[in-house]
Amino acid sequence: MSLLSVRDLKVNYGAIQALRGVSLEVEKGEIVGLIGVNGAGKSTTMLSIMGVVKPISGQIDYEGQQLLGQPPEGILRKGIAPVMEGRRIFPSLTIEENLRLGAASVKAKDQIEEDLLKWYSFFPILRERKAQPAGKLSGGQQQMLAVARALMSRPKLLLMDEPSLGLAPKLVAEVFRLIVQLRDLGMTVLLVEQNVRMTLDIVNRAYLLSTGRVEFAGTPDEIRKHADLERAYFGSGSGRGHSPSSEAGA
Amino acid sequence: MDTVLRQKRERNGVSFINDLLQYGVSSLSLGGLYALMALGLVIVYGILRLVNFAYGELVMVGGYGLLIFGETPLPWIICAVLSILAALFAGVLMERVAFRPVRNTSPTTLLITSFAVSNLLQNIALLTVSPRPRAPRLPEFFVKSLTVGDLRIKLADLIALTVSILALVVLTVFLRRTIIGLALRAAADDFTMTRLVGVKANMVIASAFAVSGFMAGIVAIFWIGRTGQTYPSVGLQPVLIAFIASVVGGMSSLKGAVLGGYVLGFLTMGLQTWLPQGVNNYRDAVLFGIVIVVLLFRPDGLIKPAYSREAR
Amino acid sequence: MSRAQVTMIRRFSTPVILFGIMLAIALISELRNDVVFERVVTVMFINLLLTVALQVFQGNSGLGTFGQYAFVTIGAYSSIWFSLTQKQKRTALPDMPRDWWLYEQHLGFIPSILVAGAITTVVGAVVGVAFVRLRGASFTIATFAFLIVINRVALQWTQLTKGATTVFGVPKYTEIWDALVWASLGVLVAYLFKESPLGLKLRASREDEDAAESLGVNSALVRWFAWTLSVFLSAVAGALWAHFIQNFSPHNFYIKETFLIVAMLIIGGSGSVSGAVLGAIAVAMSQEGLRQVENWVNIQRGRGTWVETVVPFQLVGFTEIIIACAIIIVLILRPSGLTGGREIAWPRVKPVTSLARPSDDSGAGA
Repeated sequence: MSLLSVRDLKVNYGAIQALRGVSLEVEKGEIVGLIGVNGAGKSTTMLSIMGVVKPISGQIDYEGQQLLGQPPEGILRKGIAPVMEGRRIFPSLTIEENLRLGAASVKAKDQIEEDLLKWYSFFPILRERKAQPAGKLSGGQQQMLAVARALMSRPKLLLMDEPSLGLAPKLVAEVFRLIVQLRDLGMTVLLVEQNVRMTLDIVNRAYLLSTGRVEFAGTPDEIRKHADLERAYFGSGSGRGHSPSSEAGA
Repeated sequence: MDTVLRQKRERNGVSFINDLLQYGVSSLSLGGLYALMALGLVIVYGILRLVNFAYGELVMVGGYGLLIFGETPLPWIICAVLSILAALFAGVLMERVAFRPVRNTSPTTLLITSFAVSNLLQNIALLTVSPRPRAPRLPEFFVKSLTVGDLRIKLADLIALTVSILALVVLTVFLRRTIIGLALRAAADDFTMTRLVGVKANMVIASAFAVSGFMAGIVAIFWIGRTGQTYPSVGLQPVLIAFIASVVGGMSSLKGAVLGGYVLGFLTMGLQTWLPQGVNNYRDAVLFGIVIVVLLFRPDGLIKPAYSREAR
Repeated sequence: MSRAQVTMIRRFSTPVILFGIMLAIALISELRNDVVFERVVTVMFINLLLTVALQVFQGNSGLGTFGQYAFVTIGAYSSIWFSLTQKQKRTALPDMPRDWWLYEQHLGFIPSILVAGAITTVVGAVVGVAFVRLRGASFTIATFAFLIVINRVALQWTQLTKGATTVFGVPKYTEIWDALVWASLGVLVAYLFKESPLGLKLRASREDEDAAESLGVNSALVRWFAWTLSVFLSAVAGALWAHFIQNFSPHNFYIKETFLIVAMLIIGGSGSVSGAVLGAIAVAMSQEGLRQVENWVNIQRGRGTWVETVVPFQLVGFTEIIIACAIIIVLILRPSGLTGGREIAWPRVKPVTSLARPSDDSGAGA
């Protein structure tokens, strides 16, 4: 049984059909990519899984349980933690307060202290500045904080929405390295990204989303061979009207 | 003749310092109460964008609580604590019944709902308790004064000053050290994200209203202690002050609310002490005029929002 | 007939239909020959004018304001400074100094109304400059504080207002037809404003201020226009009311009255002038009905009938409670009010539901 199973998800924003029947599976221990251009529906899928957006139809199952209809706080407590687009750390709280809040669902105090130490050693810059308001951090540092905060709840599945957005190339590489490290630690990751090249380098499988549907799914090699992708992203003039994604790496 | 003049000049010098000290104590005391009032308002506004007109009615509940409990043989301090708890509970109940159904609507809808709730509660009080002002049992210290040298300070002022500072300290500790406190601050930054780290939305909102009610309860005791009476519209003056203090201080931060409260307290006492007698009747108009001038230069209040709010 | 032509006719039809409804009610009152009903209808028209005035600002800008009755106060009192003869002023405003310029002024009814409107508009325009720069919550609070302050000033300034005591002896110039005419003018003005470029700009900035600004809309300025217009209409209503009720004090222009007008607008629907009109009519009629019920219950209780067992206390503020509950229910269930923000118009057309064609499923690009 897959860890996460999304079937035929349909989401409308008013009259606009953002998702027209998206299906995907995530197995335990994988990094699964969700790639596509702006507006393809990647973030909407994420927000639906997290319960922030209510789909009009479809199914979302996690470890066999229904997720649809649950509030976001309930979904986190089941073991799915998001790292949202734009980081969304709490700017007026300190780094440490942000992290402690990440563990809001954790009852065992010693677990919280243990995890704080663990992630402080993983991200030394956070320990250095732990009493500073998080709003003063740079983009890359905020990204670290957002990831660490999500990890404080000891999730089984990490949803990451465009972690590389707005970061300098060197930091982007660091972030992707971090994601691989997390997988090695046993985490399952669903990664939404526009940076296709670097995403394909690290994922087990990926889904290519386009205008609310899954265009193609497969291993990185299969996707690279996929003709549409080459045309749209690697620029051979496809005439399909897709804008090439921002090549923030390589 | 020289001696008399010298003595008179000395006495004037001393009395000026006396006046200043008097002014300081009463301003700090009034400012403290105003700060608490403003805090109770802003803590809800920061998270929900709700300007709670019915906040005044929480003060009313505190006042009537004092009245009702005061009629039992319980010691007064217990009555005071119970009335504060009554206001706290009323705040939580108010949210559950009236505001939760309209939770995700526009700020204007929220505002008008609160206006309607305020009106409703006042009329219910009118109908059930009494339209006439009633005097709750109050302990003696509310009318006593303390004499230190040439200084006469009202004991009630001193106690209000102490209690308000204590309440501010307790609130600060609560907001810094407890998870609920952290959650409240985070919710003011980004409510959705707060839910996404696993904090229950209902709990955060109920807590905010609980704090709001708690503040209203404390304010009620000292407010009614000053005037000696409680009546259905007793909450109007406090809520108005809370409004103005938070607008002046900047509605986006708790620090702003506290600052606004103290500024308003000092301004009010200043006008009361030093405005010529004839103009004193228009004190409110002058105060308001000053507030408008402040707002002309700083439409966002004295303390600017540190970080831009998440668009909801 | 083209759709454009139909739309044109529909746009003209709204003020006509609204006027027709109001005229019909006035005629019914004439036919009924019932003094009480006539009073109710006259007050209703004045409140209708107030509701429409509120709609001009709040409906188009989306900003809640509680300051309206500050301007009703100024309108009412300033109107009598001009409409009363010196002899009348000696009774109504005994503290006004005899050597004041104001004391000597005496104008007809309509000029008094207009002058009162002008004075109030000047005050409103000036404070408006400060207010329109405030954002949402601060703005509303500032308007509320303004109401309180004007109320306090009116309670103090005995030479101009006779302070807290009741002014009496104002001649009754406002009859049902005066109220109808002014209210209808108000409806027309409100509708014209809403449909004018200025009104459109204001509504655009209500929806999305940044987007509107990027199109060259000066949000603060258009808000100021709406505010000033609203002030003028409110002042006129105040002047009308002063010459209807004949006895009043600052206590009559305060929170309870503000609440009533807000109720009328919300229940009717703040997004449209029709909402203001229908809300005013609906609430006024319900209020009258409820008042009769309240009276009946209290009388029955006095007589010791079965009613006393069912209702164990004297009904006070019963009407207000019902209205407050009505607002809350409307806000929960249908925040856009009875009219849903739409205008009454003829002929009726099916609204356009969506631009997307639901059968297009190819997903090959929008």
